[in-house]
Parts: sequence; C-alpha cells; structure tokens
Amino acid sequence: MSILKSVKSFAIGTFIAVISCMAVAGIALGDGTTALQSIEPSTITLGGSAQLTITAIGSEAPAITPPMVPGLEFLAVGQSQQVEIINGVASSKTTVTYQVTPQQAGVFTIPSALPGGEPAVLTVNRGNGPAPPGGAGQSAQPQASSSLPAASTRQGASGAAFVRLRLAKHDLYVGEMIPVDIQVGARDGMVASLNGPPMLNGDAFTLNKLPENPSRTEEIIDGKPFIVFTWHTALVAVKPGTLSLTVDTPLTVRVQSAVRPGAGFFSGSGFEDLLNDPAFQNFFGRSSQRDVTVSSAPETFTVLPLPAEGRPADFSGAVGKFAVSTDLSQDKAGVGDPITLRTHVSGEGDFARVDAPVLHDGDGWKAYTPTSKFTAADEIGYRGEKTFEQPLVSTRPGERAVPETDFSWFDPATRRYEQAHTPPLTVAIAPAPAGSSLASMPPAASPGAAAPTGNGQAPAWRPDHPDRGAASSLTPHYFQPEFVALPPLLLVALSTAWLWIRQGERSAKTARSALAAPPSIESLANQMDGYAAAGDTESFFDTGRAALRRVLATKWGLAPTDVTAEEVISRLGSDSEISRAFLLADEATYSRLKLSAPDFQQWKRIVLRNVDDRVPT
Amino acid sequence: MRRGGFVVGVAIALVGLGVCCAAARAQTPAETPRAAEYSPAHLYNQANADARAGKVALAVLEYERARVLAPADPDARENLRHARELAGVPAGPDDWFERYGRFANPNAMYWIGIAGLALGGGCLLMLRRRTPTRGALLAGMILGAAMVGASLVNAAATFPVLSEAVALEQAAAGVSPVEGADALFAVPAASTVRVLDRHQGFDLIRDSQGREGWVSAANLAPVIPSSAGNDSVSSRAAIR
Repeated sequence: MSILKSVKSFAIGTFIAVISCMAVAGIALGDGTTALQSIEPSTITLGGSAQLTITAIGSEAPAITPPMVPGLEFLAVGQSQQVEIINGVASSKTTVTYQVTPQQAGVFTIPSALPGGEPAVLTVNRGNGPAPPGGAGQSAQPQASSSLPAASTRQGASGAAFVRLRLAKHDLYVGEMIPVDIQVGARDGMVASLNGPPMLNGDAFTLNKLPENPSRTEEIIDGKPFIVFTWHTALVAVKPGTLSLTVDTPLTVRVQSAVRPGAGFFSGSGFEDLLNDPAFQNFFGRSSQRDVTVSSAPETFTVLPLPAEGRPADFSGAVGKFAVSTDLSQDKAGVGDPITLRTHVSGEGDFARVDAPVLHDGDGWKAYTPTSKFTAADEIGYRGEKTFEQPLVSTRPGERAVPETDFSWFDPATRRYEQAHTPPLTVAIAPAPAGSSLASMPPAASPGAAAPTGNGQAPAWRPDHPDRGAASSLTPHYFQPEFVALPPLLLVALSTAWLWIRQGERSAKTARSALAAPPSIESLANQMDGYAAAGDTESFFDTGRAALRRVLATKWGLAPTDVTAEEVISRLGSDSEISRAFLLADEATYSRLKLSAPDFQQWKRIVLRNVDDRVPT
Repeated sequence: MRRGGFVVGVAIALVGLGVCCAAARAQTPAETPRAAEYSPAHLYNQANADARAGKVALAVLEYERARVLAPADPDARENLRHARELAGVPAGPDDWFERYGRFANPNAMYWIGIAGLALGGGCLLMLRRRTPTRGALLAGMILGAAMVGASLVNAAATFPVLSEAVALEQAAAGVSPVEGADALFAVPAASTVRVLDRHQGFDLIRDSQGREGWVSAANLAPVIPSSAGNDSVSSRAAIR
C-alpha cells in the first residue's frame, strides 16, 4: 500500500512538474509566441461556411480555445502540431482549423484566440445583397458601460453560462418604459454558440427590439473567466400586478467528460479542477456539444395601473416625461397651398404609445392625415423625439391662426397626468388668384373665433323645416319585426295563387281531355242497350246525343257544348238522321217520349253509325 | 280557370296598392303626429335649436336621427357637417355604398318594395294567361323587380345605422371593458362611432379612423334608440 502511495505521489509530482514547466514556458514564451489567424473565404453568403485557421508558432504549444462570437458557430475540424528541434531549441507550430457557420447576416469580427493576434473579419451576406451595416462585427468592440445597477448572477448549464438582468427600478406603471440590460455570460471555452437572442418569459412585459450588436466584455466571477454579452434595451409592463420576469437564452455548451470526484488516479489531489478546465479538455478533445436554455434569476416587479383620477379626456396612453412644441413649415402661403404643421413630442418613455394631437377639418382649415417619425436619442429608443407632420390647407385668406393642440401623458415620477398646450401659430394666407375657384372665399374671421362661417359671423345654420308627418319609431320598417313579416307573407300569397292557378289549369286540361276523348263503341252500345231495356228514353237519347256531340264538335272545331240541335239543323238540315236524333232527345227530355224496342234498336244503330263509320247499318 | 287566375292576380295587385296607399296616407301631413320626436322635421328643428344653443354633441345626434328618416335632406346634411366642424370631429363612418344607397326615406322605400313585389308578382301571375297585353305585363314585372331591388339596396345601406352612436361627451377608449383600463385613444364629443359589441356597460366602438376601443356606454347615445319614446328625452337629460 505504501509502495502504491509512493508511486502515486511520484506520478502527481511528475505531472505537476510537467504542467508547471509548460505553464512557465507558456508565460516565458508568451511574448515569443506568434499567433496567426485567417479566415477563408472572408465573404460568404448566409447558409455557407468558412474556415478559420488559428496558428500558434512558438517554443511551446499553447492551448487554443475556439472563439465565441454571437451569430457564429465554430466547429473544430482539424488540429495539427509540428515540433522542430534545431540546435537544441525546440520550436512548435500548432494549427487548429474551425468550420465557421453563420446564423445571421452581418459583418463579424472574430477576436484573436491568442494574445497578440489580429482579429479576423467575416462578412456574411443575406444571399442577394450586401451585409447589413453595423452587424455583429461591432460586437467585439466594448461599448459604453451601463449605469444600471448590477444584478445577482445565477449560473446555469453547470456553470457554463448565466443570464442576468440589470434594471433601474422594480416599481413601475402600466405602459412605463424602463431601460434594461440583458447580460449573457459564457464561460470561455465551455459555450460553443449562442443560438438566439435572449427572450422574455411570459406576456406581462414587452421588450424593445434587441440590438444585433451586443457589447462584449470579460468578467471574472468566482474566479472563473466569463465573456459577457450585454444587450441594452428597454422593457414595458403591459398589465398591472406583482409580476415575475425571467429571461431565457438558448445556447450550445460543450459537455465535458468530467473526472468523477473521489475516483481515479487523481482523486483528492486537487487535479480535478485542472482536468475539468475547459482549456485543458478542449486541448485534449474530451468534450461534446449540447443545446441548453439558460434562464435568469426571477425579478419581481410591482406594476401599478394608471390612475383613473385626473385622467384627461384626450389622454392617449403616453407614459413618461415629455415636452411638446409645434411649428409651421412656412409663415406665408396662399389659399389652397399646403403648409405643414409639425408637432414635436420629445422626452423619455415609450414613444410607441405617443399618439399625434391631430387637427381636424374645420375653422377654415382642411387637415390631412399626419405622418410620424421617431428620432432616438439613445441606442434603445428610450429617449428621443417623435415628430408628427400634418399637412394643412387654408380655405380662406387672411391672417390665420392654426388652432392650439393639447397633449397629455402620465408622468411616473410625479405620479400624475400632465398636459401641454401648444401656443397658437399664425400664418399669412394670401388670397387665391383671380379666376380660381378659391378666389371667392371670403376673409377668415379673427383668430380665436368660435365658429367662423362664410360671412365671418355666427354659424349660419340652415333654416328650420315645417313639421310634417311623423313615424312611430326611428327604426326603419325594414328592421321592425311586424314589417319584416309582410314581404314573406306577400310572397307566400303570390306563391299560393300561382299554385292554385296552375292546379286549376291542370284540372281544366284534364276535363277537356276527358270531354274530347272518343267514346268506345262497345261501351256506348252497351249503355244504350241498358237504357233501352229499362225503357229510359231520356237517358237513351242523352247518351246518344253526347256521343254525337263529341264527334261533331271534333269535326266542326267547336266545343261539345256548342253543338246544339239548332247548330246541327243549320249545318245538316232538319231531315238528317242526326238532326232528328237531337230533336228526339229534346222531346224525350221534355215530353216523356216512349219508344218501342225496335225503335230503340233503330236509333241505336243510327247513333252508332254516325259515331263510328265502321258500324254496319 | 284562366279567369280565376286573372282575378287572383288583380286581387293581389289591388291588395298591394291598397297597402301602399295606406302607408302613404300614414306618411302624409297629419294635424296631430303620433310621435313628434320621430318626425324628421322635428328632429332637424330640435337639432338646429341645440346647435344654436351650443350643444353641439346633442345637435349631431339629432341631425343623425333626422337623417335616418330623411337621408337625402340637404339641409340636415349641411348642418350636420357644420356641427361636426364646430366640434372638431371628422365625418362619421360613411362609405360610398351607404352614401348613395340611402337616397330616400327608408320607410317609403320599404313600401315601394312591397308595391314592387305585388306588382311584379301580379304581372307574373297574369302572364300565364295568353293575352295581347303580354308586353305591358312584362314591363310591369320588370318595374316591380326594379322597385324591389331599389328597396333592398336602400335596406342594405341603411342597416349600418342600427349600430351607430354619437359620443355625447369626450371619452377615453380603453383596451378592455373595465373601469380604469388603459386608454387607447380619445373619443371626442359629437363624434359618430360604430358600436361593434357590448359588455357590462361598455361598448366596443370603431371610430372614423378605424380605431377600436371600449367606451363607457353612458357616454354614447345610439342614433336609433333601442326603445321608442323616451330615448330622446333620456339622452337630452344626460347631456344637460
């Protein structure tokens, strides 16, 4: 056991000696090491990739860790080392090659991986155009430090990264904008890439658009170096209450094959930290990559609603500290000439909630829809000036006054609503040239007149009307239930009438068809035989006459009812059989004529013969 | 049977004409109007009186109401424009269809539509009878259809008026129908807005610029009151 301990102590001692030598050599050769860094190609399009080559030439091989630039992903693709000993002096050349894949377009400055090296610049185009100006390349340049108080740091991803917020205050009003710094710290060598901008958790706040160029600084936290990216932006609370806010950031970390504590050859020796050091592990290629999301420590806010008391009627939602001024594009114009009323709202706050104090048509002015332009005075859009430009046209000549405008806002500092009144502006309006349609416009009333009219006097209202008929309701008949029912009722009545007429026409047609149908000889003979057997002379002749009528009506083109005895006599003569049959039929109806059996048979044959020529006589 | 159809058609046409005559009689001058506040002339005159007294918001409301029954009245239109100028508010929600579709008294147009329906339907019925006046019947049918069409256009153009309201006082349009909600924009007095929804004493309105927000219903008076009779009085009391 003691031998084993001795061997272990020897090994540790030897390792310490080697590492110490390496470290001393590194320090000693720090100034003598030449670092070269190049990227090929230096301009690519989004979706492509470039190769970053880092070369260190010196007496010893330094540890090279991949650089970290937001928007770029680095993947080690090759490493070579060449050691030469000339005249007993060792010289090492270490080359590490990374594949660089951009996640966004821009101009990226990749800091040197080794002290004393020159940064490399990579330009990434969108594909069909140049890279946007002010890209992430600026990120390497440290920016002005924020005056916001530092926040607590809660590390995530096993200490590889952290996200923290720096805020000016935690008590605010709905709609109030406050500056905020979002800081993402990445431990050098342990974070491969940032996979997106920081994002708010929840819907109680809105965040201004994050700049593409976070500032980059270095910070030592708990003795460990971090690269800290800072986004300066502004936060707006959108609902009241006690609210908690966190910020998430997606990133890729290098997961190291850590030496388990208490196990292995170096346990309890103090070498675990050394072995877990990212530089050490990267050098020996003992890490893999994993996507994680790191969240900030929750920040609690007290968000108050805007007070209802004292709220001006024209309050449009602006919260902050503002000043308002107006001016005109010119002080002289002609009738019908456009002039521009510029309203400047400057100060600090959420300018997205600043609405224009708009003038409307009237008072001899024709007003058009204003346009707005915001000029930020800082990088986050918290301070600045919003200018509204509203074109106006005077329809009357004279010394005209542009009406005053009011603007109100809520000031969180004073905790009350503030109002600003712009002073009246005057402009000299020259009459329109003779012949113009505007030339007949009379001069305007003096500025401040309540209701100028065509004659500059009190408003000229059109005269009253004589009272006429009235309606019981203002609701038009179209939309009153009792009237709404009338058109459908009328439609139903019309439809019913249509159907009724159609049905009647069908019935009449059927009846006409039945009336005009040729009688069956057999049925007619049977019918007449029946009446003859019964001695019913009237029915006998009625049946025969009806059959003759149908035949004659068809022959003569008359209605059966129009075939009367007179009509038959006039057409066939009184001596014809048919005429005599018609006369006998009338006689049978009125005089109870009695016939013998042979007479019945004779008249039957006459009828049948005239109904159908095929009947033998 | 043909005679029967002809008689039915004539009867329906006569009924339609009779209804129209009755309606026209109801619209003719009467010595004692049933509800003077809904006479267009009375509303117009009252609006003039309010305008002269400086009650511009109330005047705008009454001009709007007068224009419901007399949309083509040039005096009401001009005075309404003038009142809006005085109040500094833009014209109410109006589009070309509404402007040209509301060309006549909607009640008269309603009866014209009914008469057109009776005329067209009667002519159609009579066309079933073979008659030498077929051309005249066809013309009558086309005329009836035109009358019905005009009435329908007028109804469609009048329909949006049902949801219009006038702000009697300046009000703030908020993001939600609760007291103390964040204000989105200001609704000036006398502006005509369109009410899209109602919720617990608040109206969701859309102004002439297309902006939407919740306004306390107490600040608005509907152009067409929900119940006949006392709305004019209540809104007047509210403004006073």
